[in-house]
Amino acid sequence: MSARLAVALLLGFMTLPTAVVVAVSFNPTAIMSFPPDGLSLRWYANALTYPQFQRASVNSLIVTAGATLVALPIGTAAALALERGRLRARNVWATLLLSPLVVPGVAAGLGFLILAASLGLLRSRAVLIAAHVALVLPFVVRSVWVSVANLDPMLDRAAASLGATPWRTFRRVTLPLLRPGLSAGLLFAVIVSANEFVVSLFVSNRVTEILPVAMFTYVVNYTDPTIAALSSLFIGATFLLVWLADRLFGLAAVFLPDR
Amino acid sequence: MRLLLVPALAVIAVFALALGALFQYSLLAFVPGSLRTGGVTLENFRGVASPQYLGYVWDTVVLSAATTVLTLLASYPVAYALARTSSRAARSWLLILTLAPFFTGAIVRTYAWLLVLGNTVVTWPVPMLFTERGVLVGLVHFSMPTMILLLAAALSHVDPAYERAAASLGATPARVFWRVTLPLSMPGIVSGSLIVFAWTLSAFPTPELLGGGKVKMIANAVKDLALDSFNWPGAAAFAMLALGLTLALLAGVGRLSAGWHAE
Amino acid sequence: MGKAVVELYGCTRDFGAVRAVDGLDLTVQEGEFLSLLGPSGCGKTTTLNLIAGFAAPSAGRIMVDGLDVTDRPAHERGLGVVFQSYALFPHMSVFENVAFGLRERRVAEGETRRRVEEALALVRLEGRGSQRPRQLSGGMQQRVALARALVYQPRVLLLDEPLAALDKKLREEMRGELREIQRSVGITTIFVTHDQAEALSLSDRIGVMSRGRIEQLAPPREVYTRPATRFVADFIGASTVLEGRATALDRVELAPGVSVRVEVGTALPVGERVELAIRPERIAVQAAGGAGGEADDVAGRVARLIYLGAQTEVTVEIAGGQRVLALVGEPSPLTLATGAAVRLTLPPDAFMVLR
Repeated sequence: MSARLAVALLLGFMTLPTAVVVAVSFNPTAIMSFPPDGLSLRWYANALTYPQFQRASVNSLIVTAGATLVALPIGTAAALALERGRLRARNVWATLLLSPLVVPGVAAGLGFLILAASLGLLRSRAVLIAAHVALVLPFVVRSVWVSVANLDPMLDRAAASLGATPWRTFRRVTLPLLRPGLSAGLLFAVIVSANEFVVSLFVSNRVTEILPVAMFTYVVNYTDPTIAALSSLFIGATFLLVWLADRLFGLAAVFLPDR
Repeated sequence: MRLLLVPALAVIAVFALALGALFQYSLLAFVPGSLRTGGVTLENFRGVASPQYLGYVWDTVVLSAATTVLTLLASYPVAYALARTSSRAARSWLLILTLAPFFTGAIVRTYAWLLVLGNTVVTWPVPMLFTERGVLVGLVHFSMPTMILLLAAALSHVDPAYERAAASLGATPARVFWRVTLPLSMPGIVSGSLIVFAWTLSAFPTPELLGGGKVKMIANAVKDLALDSFNWPGAAAFAMLALGLTLALLAGVGRLSAGWHAE
Repeated sequence: MGKAVVELYGCTRDFGAVRAVDGLDLTVQEGEFLSLLGPSGCGKTTTLNLIAGFAAPSAGRIMVDGLDVTDRPAHERGLGVVFQSYALFPHMSVFENVAFGLRERRVAEGETRRRVEEALALVRLEGRGSQRPRQLSGGMQQRVALARALVYQPRVLLLDEPLAALDKKLREEMRGELREIQRSVGITTIFVTHDQAEALSLSDRIGVMSRGRIEQLAPPREVYTRPATRFVADFIGASTVLEGRATALDRVELAPGVSVRVEVGTALPVGERVELAIRPERIAVQAAGGAGGEADDVAGRVARLIYLGAQTEVTVEIAGGQRVLALVGEPSPLTLATGAAVRLTLPPDAFMVLR
């Protein structure tokens, strides 16, 4: 069927660059040719031992872990409030919480940079983590909200009637049942934060910059396939995570909620 | 229970503070050679209205419009397959392939196009790298996952029963698409297009790397002003413009989809 | 009877402008099975929620065992609740569900295991402890919910239309089981339902509710044969309500020339308007002009016939326009058709005088 061919071609278009990157990463020489002349892992070695990448990886770890740890409980609380708080202007609040998604990266990035300068926090990671929390929060809220909405409100009453305090009810009944949404939220938070580039470009310097920014700097200055190797590692890790997410909670449930 | 919303609102407040700082600086005078600022002025916005910067805006709008149209055409078939396939495995794979580029991050994807457009795979008949053509390809690739998901969601709301009804009444598949599926998915098409258009207006890594300095969109100009010239007020003003455009477009989307849902 | 276990004094509950429970007084005796019966919106579930602590009264007090629990939150009231949707925890096994209340009370593991197994045996679900709620049928889930509420021996058992989600046959089966279990355990029980057959068959007393108030609180037989108000007469069983004027201490004129004798032990207010209710099964229907019959028989015409298999519902219009509902057993010796002239015998002691 020609329709199926069209879809296959389009999917090919979407995955072609990825294939090229992975292929080039194995090139033995610094000239980027496709198909590669041979197979070599030297660029992987280079990528993994390059000091700036190592420093940036540590930064990425710190920032992403920090942002996720902060965003998860805050986002969960917000999802509970939105679903069960009987808010009159619920949609307004929801839009507000999702608003960081629509702000152009350069605007948010520059804004945070100016804010950091005004507060004398230019060299600290605090502003960077704060920015990441704001950027990651919408994903967490959305994911957890889906789980909360599927929760039977009568379960809370049942637990109360059996003698469980509100806190015990949350721990023994609500939280376990929120696991799918929490896991999805965690996954998105990690992926979004780890890949965040534009805002981080503005808010960090060479000491605090995270991996995508370090990669950007490298690409602008050098032309060897080191970035191809690093990108391949990135792609591999992401594919694994996304596949895992689908196996665990079915991505369709989160992205196509009506099916 | 409502109090649980407060921490999230605090985060948004910090975000709003950042935007507030942006707004504030857009109205302060630039002191060349330093990060200090002068008094309140509208000079930055006058600078934004200059031919050079208006040129950036125009280029951005044109490029974004072209991106949106091409993305739409390329995404619709994939979205249709995603929404209509009955095989759970097929749906999973389509979703994974659609989403994975989404999540590999801007640098990786842009770098990949740097390789492909840079004559690594094939030698292009016309130069692709550092041209508007190349940036366009990169932008379309960047926007497809979003467009596919939005279109798929809209299409999954179109009951296949309508298509079957049309077929039973004698319409060929092409006619069914033209007269039933397309009109019914129009709200999704319009809102998806507006969203992609708005996001493309603020695109940064793609034009930055694939444009090589020759193709500049609004975001690139902001970065130049802020990080190269240290003209924070000027950059802020231009960023405010981008913000304003985006918000106006998305407000339009909101209005439209509310109108459609009301029917 | 026994001591009062649950007492409500002047309880009112408002939802904005809607008054769901209106100055309700109620006393529930030790060991009794009390049903709150009424149509949807009458306030019976809200009353249950007040007792359970899921809602706070806008006014009034609630006592359990003589202690004022009005300000006590739900998890401190020590009651057992069975929900209409069962509300079994989906992520826990049957065993874990039933053990929940015991775990909250820090009962030792061995003791918990023993009591959970006892409770499961009581509801005839032995051996299902490791299954998940979604693997069980509706009837079984309901029994798990019951076991869960009973295992820690609460003072009172509250049931919110627990049989509503079951199909007819299962519902009737469960009714019997429920009553047996309640009797064997001897627990004070408050049962909310809109199904009058259920209430009549299960209860020691029935509280018929309408618009947030209890219209009548009495044993089933009394509620059925001597309804206190028109609402109760209408809601419980079928009946005809006739309006007339009392012309003597024992006589009511329904229409010019049509009067009936009423002997129910109370004197009628002579000269005043009176409402009488009579159950269709008490009325004898005969062809007009036939032999036999009483002096006070009322003449009428058949207005409607509904064949029900074992009986036929006959609606008869009498002089003055009022309609009487009667039941004729099938197969019937009469050949009735719409418009046929008939004679109705209304026994004087079958009337219920309504306030």
